[in-house]
Formats: sequence, structure tokens, C-alpha cells
Amino acid sequence: MSAEVSVPIERDADIVTARQEGRQLAAAAGFSSADQTIIALAISEITRNIVSYAQRGKVTLSRMDEGGRRGILIVAQDDGPGIPDIDLAMRDGYSTAKSLGVGLPGARRVMDEFELVSALGKGTTVTMKKWLR
Amino acid sequence: MADEIQQAASKALMREMGLDEANIERRKKIVGFEASDVPRIAAIRDLVTQHTDDYVTTFFNHLSGLDDARSLIASRAIAERARQLKREHLVAMVQGEYGMKYVEQRIELGTLYAKAGLDARVFLGAFHQLLKHIGSAVMKQVDRKPLDGFESFMSLKKIAFFDIGLIVDVLVFERERVIRQQQESIRELSTPVLQIRERLLLLPIIGVIDTQRARLITESLLRSIRANRAKVVVMDITGVATIDSKVSNHLLQTVTAARLMGAHVIVTGLSAEVAQSLVALGIELSKLNTVGDLQGGLEEAERILGYRVLTTATDAGPAPEGS
Amino acid sequence: MSVPILKQGDVLIASIQAALSDRELAQLHDAFADQVGRFRSRGVIIDVTALDVLDSFATRTLRSIAYTAKLRGANAVVVGIQPDVAFAMVQLGLSLEGVATALDLEEGLAYIRDVAKRGSHRVR
Ligand SMILES: Nc1ncnc2c1ncn2[C@@H]1O[C@H](COP(=O)(O)OP(=O)(O)OP(=O)(O)O)[C@@H](O)[C@H]1O
Ligand SMILES: [Mg+2]
Repeated sequence: MSAEVSVPIERDADIVTARQEGRQLAAAAGFSSADQTIIALAISEITRNIVSYAQRGKVTLSRMDEGGRRGILIVAQDDGPGIPDIDLAMRDGYSTAKSLGVGLPGARRVMDEFELVSALGKGTTVTMKKWLR
Repeated sequence: MADEIQQAASKALMREMGLDEANIERRKKIVGFEASDVPRIAAIRDLVTQHTDDYVTTFFNHLSGLDDARSLIASRAIAERARQLKREHLVAMVQGEYGMKYVEQRIELGTLYAKAGLDARVFLGAFHQLLKHIGSAVMKQVDRKPLDGFESFMSLKKIAFFDIGLIVDVLVFERERVIRQQQESIRELSTPVLQIRERLLLLPIIGVIDTQRARLITESLLRSIRANRAKVVVMDITGVATIDSKVSNHLLQTVTAARLMGAHVIVTGLSAEVAQSLVALGIELSKLNTVGDLQGGLEEAERILGYRVLTTATDAGPAPEGS
Repeated sequence: MSVPILKQGDVLIASIQAALSDRELAQLHDAFADQVGRFRSRGVIIDVTALDVLDSFATRTLRSIAYTAKLRGANAVVVGIQPDVAFAMVQLGLSLEGVATALDLEEGLAYIRDVAKRGSHRVR
């Protein structure tokens, strides 16, 4: 019944592992199946960004229990190139990879809390939370 | 067998409540429980285990005298089980092991109280009597070394408060569950998805739409599409009072999601004002299949469905060929 | 695990059975592109009933399959998107604009037959 899972992200197959772990943890935490899917989707987007832009990193999934409020915490971390303009990267449709540019803004939309910290040349950390209703 | 089912239920509840090892450790910290408490409790172990029946009786006698506890006492089966669990509880309390297994047993007892509709304050009253009884027994027994007795009793009290925390949490959690379920059914009533005929659903949207409700509407529509194998959905928004950008986004999301599942959505009941504000909000009406009123919408739906029936009827299914 | 593509008359069908990595999805795309031309298929069906998530990459790949098919004169239809999956997609901001969808395989086949009969794309 360990409450924390860490998944190394190095290849595209790790994205699948990460979102499956996320779904399992979300289910154990009591999230509805709709919310489990949303959580898995957000994990998919954030870990894909690691593979696409930072090559390697990791995602840590854990349950939160803060004074009766319960939920799930997702921290995706990499030592990649970092993001030069965070505001721009968070914008819908912005992509340096000619993709949809929906990953970051979409993940922020579906989670309750979202924080992106990035330093050029040092890496990027995305922290997301979703609370049980 | 019944025990196993009960155990599984308690374990499931523990998961739901987030009662894992870490949480249990935190709870011990909250009551100030330390390793040094274990030998102190051990010192009064025999005293407690030799008189469990006395203490259990104290607890239930107190309850019998209370109107508020009638439901627990009235059912013989529940009362018997509660007695047995209470006896086991008192024995476990002085064994020095307060891990997952111990918590599981507390949860089972708590669930029983919840089922019997016992209120937290009633439980607390009876538990207080029981503790008082144990306390005076301890003090009598160790009258030559009152300080030791006092310390032992204080250590035991930490476990008692640890237990109270668990029981009260179960009672609250179960009560909230009832409220959650009631809210669920109220919500369901407020977002009805009606099947008009085979493969045709009607979704009348009435009243104020906020984010939470929009979510529920969409979720229940999508499930109904799958459950009824719906092909066309008529979404009637005659009853929607005002449309702002948030509401229109919600409606658009619902339409998009239904489409992803392969259902056509026809929007009806769009007043001129609402249509205008949609345009003003930058929503392309061309993206929506809109029909003036509900009647027209249903006719359009029949047309789509009728056409489908015709084409599938003239064709005898896919020819099975090798791959 | 790569996804087998079945040929049923002039329709190609891929039933995805388990979660796919990006590479496997890309392989599926290439396999379709290759076979649609080779068999002069009229329709392409991608059955995603078994998928519990469709993310931006999967969405992009599905769109691209539909586009490639269209270029070669075939209609593509995505079938079996689950309620939770559809819900999560729209919440995130994903859609399959320009791609036909149907409830299940049976509906997908009916759709392709419809379009062929009418000789044009049905307006969705
Ligand atoms: N971990 C990261 N390290 C470096 N750059 C990143 C990282 N994550 C995102 N970015 C940058 O932010 C941009 C926006 O990311 P986002 O996920 O929103 O869109 P995308 O990945 O380009 O497209 P999509 O996710 O829709 O396929 C990316 O194009 C990339 O330049
Ligand atoms: Mg991305």
C-alpha cells in the first residue's frame, strides 16, 4: 500500500507506464472513472513533453491527505533545456514542434492546481494536483 | 466467511478513508503515543484483560439507559456483535500492537456503530464511562505506587484517544457518504436524458448551468449514448435562461464529446437573443446543427435516423472476406 | 505489439487491443498509408474501444490517418471512443475535427457504405 510511485521517463513506452500507474493510484484514492481518465491524460501530456523536449526525466505520483482534503499529486521533473518563455508555452496552440500546442494548457485546465517551474539549461518541473470532490 | 467479507469491507473503507501506514503513524503522533508507552500499558495488561466483561458491561449499560442509542441496543444481532467487538477491543488495547490490523478492527466496530445510526456524542459518552471505570480500577490496584498507575493509565488513554479519532472519523465519513449519495440522486434528477425512441435521445437543459452541473450533464449524456447506442441527440436549450461565454463553452464541449462518440447533436430552442450572444461570444453557429424548435429538431432527428434505417435495410451487412 | 490490420472487402479495419506507445501508433499510421494505396481501399476503420486514454499524440495520429486515407480516396472513421475518454478529451481541449466518428464497428461499416453510396462525404 505504498502511497508514492516514481516512474523514470526515458522512452515513449514509459509514458504508457506512467499514465497506467497514475490511473491506478487515482482509482485507489477514490476518484471516479471519469476523473481517473482525466488524470491519466494529463500525465500522458506532461510525460510526453519530457520525452519530446528533455529526453529523460521522471514523474512522481503520490496521494495527498491534507487536513481531510484528499487527492493526487503529480510531479514531473527533467534536466532538459528548460522553457525560455513560460507564458508563451502555456498558451493554447503554441508549439515549437509544429504540434497542437495543447499539452501544457490542457493539463492546466483539467487539474485543480498546476505549477510550472523552468530554468534555461537546467530543466523543467511541472507540479499538478487534483482534489477529490 | 462472514468474517472475511466484513474484513474486506473494513479494508476497503480504510483505503477510501486514506488510512494507510503513514496515516496511522501520524495519528499516533497526534495523541502523543511513544515507544515508552508500550511497557506502561503492559503493566496494566492483566488488570484489563481479567475484567473485560465488567468494562464491556459498563459501556453497554450506559448505552441502554439512553434513548439515543436505542437502535444499537434494539437489534439483538448488532448488539451481540458490538459486544464481542468491544471485548476484543479492550484486549487489543493492552497488547502494545497498534498497526493496520488493530485499526482494521476499530474500523469494523465504527462501521457497526454507523450502521446502527449511533451518534458520535453518544459513543463518546459511553466510552468515557468505560475509561473512568478502568481508571479507577487501575488506581485501586496500584495504590502502593500511585504515580506508576497514573502513568500507565495516561499511556492507555493515548490509545483510547487514538481509537476515538478513528471511530469518530468513520461515523463522519459514513454520514457524509449518505449525503453524497443524496446529492447524486438530486443531480441525476436535474439532468435527465430521455430516450425518445430507439437511437434517439432528448436532453432538455433547464435552469442555471455552472461548471459542476455542465460536467454532470455531459457525463450522463455520454453514458446514455453508449448505453442506448444512440445515433442522434436533440439538445433542447429552451430552458436555459442566460448564456455567457462559460455556459456556451460547456454546451460546445458537450456537443463535441457526443460527436467524438459518433452521435449527431441537434441543438434546438435557441432564441434569437441567445443566438446573437453566441455569435457575439465568437461561437461559430455553423459548427452546431441548430433547428428552431424542439418539434423541428425531432423531425430532423427522425430524418437522419430514417435515412440510416433505409440504407442499412437495403444492404445485407458486410461480406466476410479473408483478411 | 503492433496492431494487425484486417481487410474486409474494400475496407481496412484496425482494432486496437491494448494501450499503444507513440511508436506503435506511428507504425499503425504507416501501415495504413501503405495498405490503403496497395489495396485501393474505400474505407478505413480504426477501432479504439479498448483504449482508455486518447491524448494529443493519439489524436494527431488519428487525424493524420484520416487525412492520408482521404488523399488516397478512402474514408476513415474512428469508432468506439468511450464516454470517459471523450469527456477527458474535450476537457483537455482535444477534438477530432474533420474525422468521422461512429459508435462502434458496426456503425463504422454502415457509415462507410453510406458515404460510398452517396458518392460524397456526409456532412457531420
Ligand atoms: N519539459 C519540457 N522541456 C522543454 N520544453 C518544453 C517542455 N514541455 C513543454 N515544452 C515547450 O513548451 C511547448 C508547449 O508544450 P505543449 O505540451 O503545450 O505543446 P506541444 O508539446 O508543442 O504540443 P502537444 O502537446 O499538443 O502535442 C513545447 O512546444 C515546447 O517547446
Ligand atoms: Mg506536449
